[in-house]
Amino acid sequence: MTELPSTRADRQPFQRLARTTGVRLGLAVALLIGLTSTAYWLHATPGRGATAALSLLLGASLGFVFQRGRFCYFCILRDWIEFRNTGPVYAILAALAAGSIGYTLVFGIFLPNPFSGRLPPEAHIGPVSWVLAAGGLAFGLGMALSGACVSGHLYRLGEGSTRAPVALLGVLAGFGLGFLSWNQLYLATIADAPVIWLPARLGYGGALFLQLVLLGGIAFLLLRNVPELPPRPAQRFDLAGVWAVLFHQRWPALVTGALVGLLGTVAYMRIEPLGVTSQLGSLARTGMDQVGLLPTTLFGLDRLAGCATQVVQTITANGLLISGLVLGSLTAALLANRFQPDRLTMRGAGSALVGGILQGWGAMVALGCTVGTLLSGISAFAVSGWLFGLTMLAGVWLGIRSSLHRLV
Amino acid sequence: MHTPVVSRGNGLMLVVLVALVIVLAGCSTAQTPAAAPVAAVPVPAQGTELGARGPEQALVSTEWLAANLDNPQVRVIEVSVVPGLYERGHIPGAVNFVWHTDFVDTVNRDIVAPDRFEQLARTAGINQDTTVVLYGDNSNWFAAWGAWIFLQYGANDVRLLDGSRAKWEAEGRELSVTVPSVAAGDFTVAHRESLRARLPDVLAVVEGTTTASLIDIRSADEFSGKIFAPEGFQELAIRAGHIPGAINIPWKQALNEDGTFKSVDELQSLYAGLGIDGSQPIITYCRIGERASHTWFVLSQILGYEVAVYDGSWTEWGNTIGVPIANPSGTVWGAQ
Repeated sequence: MTELPSTRADRQPFQRLARTTGVRLGLAVALLIGLTSTAYWLHATPGRGATAALSLLLGASLGFVFQRGRFCYFCILRDWIEFRNTGPVYAILAALAAGSIGYTLVFGIFLPNPFSGRLPPEAHIGPVSWVLAAGGLAFGLGMALSGACVSGHLYRLGEGSTRAPVALLGVLAGFGLGFLSWNQLYLATIADAPVIWLPARLGYGGALFLQLVLLGGIAFLLLRNVPELPPRPAQRFDLAGVWAVLFHQRWPALVTGALVGLLGTVAYMRIEPLGVTSQLGSLARTGMDQVGLLPTTLFGLDRLAGCATQVVQTITANGLLISGLVLGSLTAALLANRFQPDRLTMRGAGSALVGGILQGWGAMVALGCTVGTLLSGISAFAVSGWLFGLTMLAGVWLGIRSSLHRLV
Repeated sequence: MHTPVVSRGNGLMLVVLVALVIVLAGCSTAQTPAAAPVAAVPVPAQGTELGARGPEQALVSTEWLAANLDNPQVRVIEVSVVPGLYERGHIPGAVNFVWHTDFVDTVNRDIVAPDRFEQLARTAGINQDTTVVLYGDNSNWFAAWGAWIFLQYGANDVRLLDGSRAKWEAEGRELSVTVPSVAAGDFTVAHRESLRARLPDVLAVVEGTTTASLIDIRSADEFSGKIFAPEGFQELAIRAGHIPGAINIPWKQALNEDGTFKSVDELQSLYAGLGIDGSQPIITYCRIGERASHTWFVLSQILGYEVAVYDGSWTEWGNTIGVPIANPSGTVWGAQ
């Protein structure tokens, strides 16, 4: 019997694919082994221990979840604002709801009495002022310009984005500008700004009820812009089906959000509230300190709750978390064949840099970003988290309406 | 109708979630310690006169504490500096005291007022005859300071966990996140003023009207006046150096490598080598008053000497107009 020529011709690309698939999977497995053995080594290292190991693993889990669920605040908001598709927004709402429930449980242990006049240790409950609003607005505009927020850029780094490193450099520079403007802003406003924590007024039950009603109300209002999903073929739960669900299809919004909320809760319970700018800000602060650009005193900064920065020479727990985030995302991207480095254009680099600077300044004066101030703040029932979320949304809306996101 | 934002992969996601939780749960520091025999708590002295002091009355080992966690006679108190440390896991049954709000008056520069302290102690379930065991991070710095306040306010049986929180953790002993609910105690404040020295007391020593040994427990560079404050700390005094006549014995010299206190013999010879043998009253001081309690604890509670803490310390002395200082390095504040 003669072999059909077409079959023969098809085989070569398939073999090539198999080879590259092998390389991809091999790399992903190597990364997983690398991450877990590094965590094991950190755990056994004096002065590091469980906190360091857990930070790395939590970061990797977060990167994995971010990549598989495409938990990118900007893309999610852009789908809503530009394409009238609110489906992905449910990931953010689910994360905030799950985080609020998780934090309520942890607060019950950390600070059984919310009316004691104390705040729960380390929770990201910040001062509420126009500076925070300005920070949120700048951050939102920066997201539109650079195509993602700080956490988005970190996980995009794992997908091979070439704009991400430029944007992150911009974030460092923006932090620098933030430090330079801090003292004036602190004296003018932040020092006297109220720190509003809902449970101190409503109790844990009341605060949780209020937030769930708010999130539920938003979810209800957005329902009409959820597009109809195309009908999907029946899928078997055999190995191939499982593989497809885990590593090919985008994880559903509610599952992704719930996992992010869970990881946020675990992080607060065991290490510190989730945040991704602490190590970046510390890098900027240390660098400026070394070249003598840092103001000799940053008034009140180290007493405020949020993504704390410090002059350090080492990798902090937060540094391990964001390293894990990038590597976890890279692992997921390799498994899903989503590691696709793109070509960097001058315009793309320029807009990423300026967007990064805006985000860096915003995150510095707001004491965190979409993760530290928004996610960890709202989960902790901080009014500062809500204000940052609203003004960030306004910034993204303005940015998209002015087509800043098209400057690629 | 399908809710469009949820796919049928949910069951599978649950598996991922469970796997995640298992991996994260694996990173735990808690292990079950070996049981140690339950030791009896000695009957404490009554009244404001402290009974005999020595390591048996002043320290408990991690083994002893592990065996006495359920002992109703014992109340464990954590005093740590790092925020969130107690909340994320403490010795089971331990109550949290926050050093910068519970042990101080936040308005007047003073230790906590007696009535507020009484209230705090009662809320923590402390009775007149309770054995109070304190521990904390940073080699028990603030736990020792807490012990000084407890004893000043009339507690009779106050001990430190030898080796501090670090040893308990290093041995993989049990930690708990549960805040204990305890029945209110009946602790009543009494005063032991002799444990505290004030500026005029120290000035009298410097001027030779009373006799006492002054021990400066700060670093050698702070003592000599080379630096105004250690690295990472704000300069709080505008003079550098030490109180005239003081001798410099950094607090850490009282500890072994593993953070436990040295033996009585070692401690006696360490301090005797520098002229401190308990034959005359002693006053300890540091920068802001807390670390001095560590050396105070060693000398007064373990060795049984007569010791007071000058908690005004260098921050007060180095800023006070008209009191003499010794500054061998000759540094001048504000000079280029």
